[in-house]
Amino acid sequence: MNILITVKKVVDVELNMHVRDGAIVTDGLQYVMNAWDENAVETAIQLKEKHKAETTLVSIGRGEDVQKIIRRAYAMGIQKGIQIDDPALSDADAFVYARVLQKVYEKGSYDLVLMGKQAQDTDNGQTGIILAELLGLPCVSNVIGIQVVDNTHLKVSRVGDFGTEELDVTLPAVITVDVAINTPRLPQTRGLMMAKKMAIETLNLAKLGTTPEAVGCNAPKSRILQFIAPETRKGGRKFEGDPAAVAAEVVQLLVNEAKAL
Amino acid sequence: MSKILVVADIKQGVVRSSTRELLSKAKALGAETAVVAVGSGIGGLVSALAAAGSDTQYLADDPSLALFSAGPWASCVVDAARRFEADMVWFGFSESGKAMSPRVAVRLDAACATDIIDVSFVDGAVEIVRPAITNKVLQRIRILERKLVAVVRAGAFQAASEIGGTENPVRLTPPEADLRAAIRNIVSDAGADIDLADADIVVSVGRGAKDAAGVALVKSLADDLKAGFGSTRAMVDAGFMPHSKQVGQTGKIVAPTLYIAVGISGAIQHLAGMKGSKVIVAVNKDPEAPIFNVADYGIVGDLFEVVPILKQEIQKVRK
Ligand SMILES: Cc1cc2nc3c(=O)[nH]c(=O)nc-3n(C[C@H](O)[C@H](O)[C@H](O)COP(=O)(O)OP(=O)(O)OC[C@H]3O[C@@H](n4cnc5c(N)ncnc54)[C@H](O)[C@@H]3O)c2cc1C
Ligand SMILES: Nc1ncnc2c1ncn2[C@@H]1O[C@H](COP(=O)(O)O)[C@@H](O)[C@H]1O
Repeated sequence: MNILITVKKVVDVELNMHVRDGAIVTDGLQYVMNAWDENAVETAIQLKEKHKAETTLVSIGRGEDVQKIIRRAYAMGIQKGIQIDDPALSDADAFVYARVLQKVYEKGSYDLVLMGKQAQDTDNGQTGIILAELLGLPCVSNVIGIQVVDNTHLKVSRVGDFGTEELDVTLPAVITVDVAINTPRLPQTRGLMMAKKMAIETLNLAKLGTTPEAVGCNAPKSRILQFIAPETRKGGRKFEGDPAAVAAEVVQLLVNEAKAL
Repeated sequence: MSKILVVADIKQGVVRSSTRELLSKAKALGAETAVVAVGSGIGGLVSALAAAGSDTQYLADDPSLALFSAGPWASCVVDAARRFEADMVWFGFSESGKAMSPRVAVRLDAACATDIIDVSFVDGAVEIVRPAITNKVLQRIRILERKLVAVVRAGAFQAASEIGGTENPVRLTPPEADLRAAIRNIVSDAGADIDLADADIVVSVGRGAKDAAGVALVKSLADDLKAGFGSTRAMVDAGFMPHSKQVGQTGKIVAPTLYIAVGISGAIQHLAGMKGSKVIVAVNKDPEAPIFNVADYGIVGDLFEVVPILKQEIQKVRK
């Protein structure tokens, strides 16, 4: 099985973030592999360990941080990495990324595309589904379990509105995974050392055989006008001390003050 | 006049409140409204769908559509959108909506926005607001396409108390099944529990409850209150709670009148799912737990001591 895995460099959401004049203050931010993509990487490596899969990872993004992320994936067990780096993509949206990924897919011969269900910076949850539509491939999103039946068939489960949905998937296909599918392994020191020596194929749009126009850089479907700091909810009162007294007081307040009971 | 197609949320033969909320917002924007409903045995819902505020009801009602399947269901929505010549297609907040919306957007050549909390017309263009980066920021976005497909965040729009609607059903031809991603079965993990999305009170349990006995204790509080019973991801991962009960960024977004967080630290991914609640109560033994930063009433204490007393006190006032 030949697997293409997509990973995105995203801002570390655990760090504080500030908005000034409609823009995010970038000082002090750090960048990491998107959490859901770590699950996609782990899924691919488990398939490789059990079923002899080939694993190729692609990340579209600028700079050193992307290479660090690819090397982290190498240290986890990914075999090959591609970075797509082109200044024309700096304002790309999900449709543009999907068209670039379409090009990457078409250059190889992949049986399965594994992606995160959502990027932590956009929280869109769109790119994988759009890619599948563009490629005319079947797609299951929000996947929490994959079982290989044979070379061209998978049993897949996803979280739906009314429970766990079970599907039979025929390859090639696009699957986007939820964090619940597995616990990504931590790269070991030895793996990190080896990863340093592994090559990364770096391509721009021209080398990928396309142009900014062809992937839609000039015709965005939407534009972010401004970022706004959300209203922060203020903590109210904290009650410490004798549990019996405190619980009674809070219940009274819920009835008489908050009118919530 | 702009035309807005709302995709109906139907559960066990009932039109959910989100459908009316979305239609109310569409009417408040002065739009012409239609609704599309997909499923099996839903033919009897026309009057309920009209009463929810729609003036046309597109129905894809066929046994082949009994179980959700993103591809074919999206085809039904696309069919309705084309017939209605919709400028916007709105989904309620749901896993099915998240799965269908990008498909519909590609097929209609529309823009796509998930998780929107506001929509307005500014100088003839559509603008939306949505949270991003785990709720750390809001984005104000201008739509540059003629059409927009959007998923509306739970609780974003209020239902109007009075809303006009007329019965005008249109039957859609069911699409072909997706044989390459074939739905076989849906294993329901929620049973007959109160739905989190509809609950007026939600009690959620976190890792502080430790084990099955702790979960049962917190659940008994939820039962006393006739509340929805939710959970953090930690408790889902540990196997104590089903996926359908996870509250947060990757689970359900809830905005009840009262949210009671028991043994929950308050990670940003959990807060993303409940910060819109009207009143928040937290029980946590760590006075520094981040959940206290959003709680209106924070009880610092051991949940195994506090919850039984809360139950007693609530019984007193609820008699
Ligand atoms: C991409 C991504 C998506 C995620 N999505 C979600 C999501 O949708 N929903 C979600 O919930 N999480 C989500 N998470 C996980 C989230 O980051 C936290 O790990 C999780 O919410 C922690 O759950 P918890 O509060 O139950 O556990 P903990 O963080 O371990 O907190 C347990 C709390 O219990 C308290 N406690 C312990 N014993 C007692 C006692 N006897 N009495 C009272 N208090 C006690 C402790 O002080 C502590 O504060 C996501 C994470 C990632 C990376
Ligand atoms: N720039 C990118 N490079 C590689 N993969 C990406 C990129 N953007 C999005 N993806 C993939 O698409 C998924 C969903 O992203 P989004 O639609 O932005 O939520 C991510 O989890 C990634 O797997």
